[in-house]
Amino acid sequence: MDQEFMAQVKMDAVEKSKAPDRGTAAMQLKNVAVSFHGRTAVRNCTFDISKNRVTSLIGPSGSGKTTLLRALNRLHDLTPGAKVTGQILLEGEDIYRGDITVTELRSRVGMVFQRPNPFPTMSIYDNAVSGLRFNGIKKKSILDEAAETSLRSAALWDSVQSRLKVAASNLSGGEQQRLCIARALAMDPEVLLMDEPTSALDPIATLRIEELMTTLKQRVTVVIVTHNMQQAARISDDCAFLLMGEDRAGELIEFDTTEKIFNNPIDPRTLDYTLGRFG
Amino acid sequence: MTERATGDGTEVSDVIPLDLQPHDELVGEFNSPTSSRTWYHYLLIAASIVFAAVSVGFVATILWSSLPIWAHHSGTLLGGKGWQSPTGPFGGLAMIAGTLETSIIALAIAVVIGLGTSISIVFLIPRRFRNIVATLVELLAAVPSIVYGLWGFLVLAPWMLNTVNPWLNKWPFAKEIFGNPGQQFGTSLLLASIVLAVMILPTFVAISREVITVVPQDLIEASLSLGATRWQVIREVVLPTAKVGLFGATFLALARATGETVAVALVAGGVANAQFHLLYPGTSIAAWIATQFGEAQGNEIAALMALGVLLMVLNFGLSLISRWLVNRQRRILAVV
Repeated sequence: MDQEFMAQVKMDAVEKSKAPDRGTAAMQLKNVAVSFHGRTAVRNCTFDISKNRVTSLIGPSGSGKTTLLRALNRLHDLTPGAKVTGQILLEGEDIYRGDITVTELRSRVGMVFQRPNPFPTMSIYDNAVSGLRFNGIKKKSILDEAAETSLRSAALWDSVQSRLKVAASNLSGGEQQRLCIARALAMDPEVLLMDEPTSALDPIATLRIEELMTTLKQRVTVVIVTHNMQQAARISDDCAFLLMGEDRAGELIEFDTTEKIFNNPIDPRTLDYTLGRFG
Repeated sequence: MTERATGDGTEVSDVIPLDLQPHDELVGEFNSPTSSRTWYHYLLIAASIVFAAVSVGFVATILWSSLPIWAHHSGTLLGGKGWQSPTGPFGGLAMIAGTLETSIIALAIAVVIGLGTSISIVFLIPRRFRNIVATLVELLAAVPSIVYGLWGFLVLAPWMLNTVNPWLNKWPFAKEIFGNPGQQFGTSLLLASIVLAVMILPTFVAISREVITVVPQDLIEASLSLGATRWQVIREVVLPTAKVGLFGATFLALARATGETVAVALVAGGVANAQFHLLYPGTSIAAWIATQFGEAQGNEIAALMALGVLLMVLNFGLSLISRWLVNRQRRILAVV
């Protein structure tokens, strides 16, 4: 064996022996599973979502990435027959506990969807402050400030500040998606869930959203589902790899820093997937 | 709610044909100089010519027959009181007013109850009952109107006469608003409005339910993710998004109400007396035509035809508005 290889193995061993420093956890998943009408869709999910980092969920179609993501702000509550087991903690508190107000939880854990979905009957401004209005805030000065701050954070303020009263449907797809991000940010959430936020966008709009995400993590913890492995590699700090098992239920195969998942995974299936051998 | 089926009943497009795109590629094929013109080519052309001729002939004869009235007595027909059979004058105010009054009151009742029903069907009723309720509502739309008329006359009219009218008249100003008829049958414009409301409810619910159902699920989820309550989602996202389509449903229901004939003929009272007191008997354009044409002669036929033209124009207008609105709703959702 040549020296270089041995050196690499040694370094990896050192790397493995010390747990990566990921800071404190914003959310903790403990053996989380989601089932619909008794049929398991995803299971065995245990990992921490660290504060001010971007955590990506990757895996082939049907591996339960989106299902897992939607469990994090209790969107499954609406689906008849859906059941979430295990524990999901937000700042140490179980979000499925009986005395948790689900509307309050959702304003702490925001969500951006696959398709840009601004409210079509509302103006840009009204979209940006819609969450605050849902939560009973009516004072114009507060709303104005939140609109500006959130639109700035979403890198949209400069292009829309002169036409805030225009219908949101006049924006381009990429701008609409940034408006949706602004709408979520206006709630000042602790965690922002993003479900393949760029899959409906062109490459340039995608790039701008990706740039945005790397700056966003300074103020909010980001969890992103993506099909695009390059995207996960580019923007995420930590990465969870999910795969559909024999019984068609998705499960967590491996969780680590993105660097490890892509360069030096423990499970051979992770390596095969990130190398594009299947999926 | 995430799996709100869109294919579980009639689509908007079943009720109102929308966005019919011509098969341009076939048009080219049929008309290309190289294609052989077979017998069915000519059969198709002949069929469409017959249809066009029938349509034109229908409108032309109605207009022609009503011409004497339009030429000399249009003012009387549109605004005159009293209908003197068989010589005239033929005043249409009672029928026009009756049509508008009964339709608009019926619509007001149907929209309030119907909107509540549609929202319940889409958002509140457990999924396994949802299709059952939706199907039942659509079955009601298929009940022949004579059945509603009979029910109105035999069941509702006595109830109105013995219970509702005396109760209404206990209130101050009730006599000024509703009148004090002392009619022996209980038939009145108010009863006609109620029966019409029952008749147009299924139509309104079927279309408005569809319009509400096609509001994209991810808009609902987006608002929930912003901390909205279920009621806020319905009030601030679903209804505004569906608004234009709901207006379309309203106009279609109004068109049904204005054209309804036999049920109104049975329960309105059949009196050509222009009247805003709702407990008095009255009539509508359609009901008046149905009850009078048998004994009409000469100018009275022309006057009835003229009323027919009026009703036709009214319904054309309402249907066009409704179509335009539902199409606009389509475009709004296409942008989403």
